[in-house]
Amino acid sequence: MIQAFNLHKSYGGGAPALQNVSFTIQEGEFVFLTGQSGAGKTTLFKILFGWEALDQGQVLVGGINVGKLNENNLYTLRRKVGVVFQDYKLLPKKTVFDNVAFAQQIIGADKKTIRFNTWDALKSVGLTNKKDAYPPQLSGGEQQRVAIARALVNDPQLILADEPTGNLDPEISLEILELFEKMNQQGKTVIMATHSLEMLQVRDHRLLILNRGRIVQS
Amino acid sequence: MISFVLNALRTTRHNIKANKQVFLMSVATITIAFTIQGLFFLVFVNLNTLLSTWGKQVQLIVYLDDDISKGRMNSLEETFKSNKEVDSISYISRDEAWKGFKNTFYEKSGFVTDLDFNPLPASYNLKFRDGPERLNNIRELADSLKEYKGIESLEYGEKWISRFEKFMIILRVFILVVGAILCVGLILIISNTIKLSIYSRQDEIDLMLLLGATHRFIKTPLLLEGLVQGVIGVGLALGIVKLIHVYMRFQFQGSLESIFRGVDLQFLGQPLLWAMILVSIFIGWVGSLLSITQYLHSTDRK
Ligand SMILES: Nc1ncnc2c1ncn2[C@@H]1O[C@H](COP(=O)(O)OP(=O)(O)OP(=O)(O)O)[C@@H](O)[C@H]1O
Ligand SMILES: [Mg+2]
Repeated sequence: MIQAFNLHKSYGGGAPALQNVSFTIQEGEFVFLTGQSGAGKTTLFKILFGWEALDQGQVLVGGINVGKLNENNLYTLRRKVGVVFQDYKLLPKKTVFDNVAFAQQIIGADKKTIRFNTWDALKSVGLTNKKDAYPPQLSGGEQQRVAIARALVNDPQLILADEPTGNLDPEISLEILELFEKMNQQGKTVIMATHSLEMLQVRDHRLLILNRGRIVQS
Repeated sequence: MISFVLNALRTTRHNIKANKQVFLMSVATITIAFTIQGLFFLVFVNLNTLLSTWGKQVQLIVYLDDDISKGRMNSLEETFKSNKEVDSISYISRDEAWKGFKNTFYEKSGFVTDLDFNPLPASYNLKFRDGPERLNNIRELADSLKEYKGIESLEYGEKWISRFEKFMIILRVFILVVGAILCVGLILIISNTIKLSIYSRQDEIDLMLLLGATHRFIKTPLLLEGLVQGVIGVGLALGIVKLIHVYMRFQFQGSLESIFRGVDLQFLGQPLLWAMILVSIFIGWVGSLLSITQYLHSTDRK
């Protein structure tokens, strides 16, 4: 699914956010990406779905050579990847339903498909009862699930979840983890960034560890 | 495809509603600019009609030397007749000219002058066929006769006509320059409005990019927004210019008619109207394109 070779990224000034990062992730794998705050987890994700440009190196995502994409075909990569952002990025003035449907609208799905898939995604995260609420009215865990539903709704092959349990209590965190595991069982490749040790201990998934921009275990 | 268009239209309407004030300000500016331009065009079009009406009434008068020989007169007449553009030729002898002069003079002042000699020359009055090249035809014949022996002078109001023509050329250049400046100004204004519209929904646009929207998908509603501004602006402006036209006609048609017979206050012709509408579309398009392209370049994959 992902072949990364010798990735370098620096934001100018200071130490590079990523250096010499190489790893391979097979299709259907479930991987924890971990490392201290500032280690470069979010940066790696941004590179994987084409939001930040690489300084050096090569990366293939689902057969697409990310570095070769230009602004006219970047969208092909982004449609293969479902991202759950660290800060959720929900639109506060849209309902839960519309937030999820938004991802379908922008890829030009027709109305019926949108309604069907949105409902389906909300059901799989257990939020159909909140579909008319607005994000600010939801708890952190609920907002996280909306974000997950939105990442799911376009049926991506790869899911990048950036710290999805960061601000949640352990019980809810486990529920969220199980959601991702369910998706993984349905055939999606999942990379979940986290620095919660509990999370890493309760499950025996492959670990990818970053430290100050370098891979220390893969 | 249909859902793409519908979605774009819906987004456009939503954006406009969300930024109503800015949108209205921009439309008002466009309206004012196009009204000014429209009024310039109105003046130009009407002066142009006036010029061509006037041109239609112009005749070439060939004044003859008093001692011109019969032979030269005949050959002159041959020249006139062989010119295909000449419609009719009338000869006015010195006596006729004098009589005519005295009559009109008497009508106007009530005096009869008693000169014991006739100061007026004999002349040919040539009328020319209608057509767009009419003035040039007159000019050409007049030029070819300039050196002709036996002709005292030629007259067709040429000084006034060429002055008027020069003025029209200057006016045309002036209008084009003003128009171009207004266009650039409007493009900047529209581009600024669209920029505000983009910033007011920046989160949403960024999210669209993140979730895999094509640039075209993001651009289309914003391009439409600029275009709608342009078209509404020009529509209002043309309405205003039309109102002014109707009012002027109502006020001045009578007195105009009495000075220039057959002259009617014209409105802008169809080609001009379409040109203005197309320019407004162009301006709206370019103005918004500037902002959107700039934004997408600076945001997507830094
Ligand atoms: N847009 C940016 N501009 C400049 N520097 C940045 C930017 N984003 C990240 N960095 C820097 O790059 C490094 C890696 O940041 P990154 O966000 O990838 O870390 P992270 O592992 O996701 O951390 P956290 O666990 O806190 O989310 C940090 O030193 C950070 O300060
Ligand atoms: Mg991060």
